[in-house]
Amino acid sequence: MSQTPPSAAAAAVADSRGRRARLFANPWLQLALSQTLTMFGDLCLKRGAMSTIHLAPAWTGLTGLASPLVWLGIVFLILSFVTWLYVLKHLPLSVAFPVSQVVHVMVPLSSWLVLGERIGPLRGAGIALVLLGLAVVAQPAAKLEERL
Amino acid sequence: MTPFALFLILTSLAAFVGGQLLLKHGMEATVSGGFRHRTFLLFVTAGTMAMAVSFFLTLGLLQRFDLSYLDPFQGLSVIFVTLAAIVFLREKLNLRLAVGSLLITAGLILVSLS
Repeated sequence: MSQTPPSAAAAAVADSRGRRARLFANPWLQLALSQTLTMFGDLCLKRGAMSTIHLAPAWTGLTGLASPLVWLGIVFLILSFVTWLYVLKHLPLSVAFPVSQVVHVMVPLSSWLVLGERIGPLRGAGIALVLLGLAVVAQPAAKLEERL
Repeated sequence: MTPFALFLILTSLAAFVGGQLLLKHGMEATVSGGFRHRTFLLFVTAGTMAMAVSFFLTLGLLQRFDLSYLDPFQGLSVIFVTLAAIVFLREKLNLRLAVGSLLITAGLILVSLS
């Protein structure tokens, strides 16, 4: 840290690398990453759970482990869990958790954009309400960010 | 829905909310104490176990019920987690947070009803 960089070019590289590291360490970015991973994980789990439904369903869901998709979903969820722990270290739970619910907007929106599923008026209204709530919650949180 | 299924849904929700509280408390210890702090090890382990219980119960429920049927219960977790964070972790509630959380919950329930 206190070392003098050998040249201006190296200093610039180190600076941009540092900025990138700082951006990656941003808890809000990690929160977004965490929810994106959750979205992929949930999609894998639902499809995997459905594909193992014929295997004498147990209330614990353990029969779902027969599906490779469930294991892929678990990998996504573990990665999401690690990023979530990082978020918890830096943001209050009462702010981070409501914001994390953005995942329930991302799933229907991605189904609409990628799969061409239609979003009815009720679902559209629900998505709008969630986004409005996120904007309301995130505003004092942005002030908190300035202090950090 | 049988009373047993309702019991499983509520147990899964309670394990989830409790798990979030334990994890948050454990991670707060790392700010000053690092990753060898006893509070971190104890609470993050307990929190992870609670989340695992909730995970397997949810997986079992997914085999029997539609995701859209189970989702409103998960939507309620916003209210429970926010309230629990205020009561147990002494986080501060302000008007914006309360209004925002209610809007998000209402939106989540609308999305899952549609």
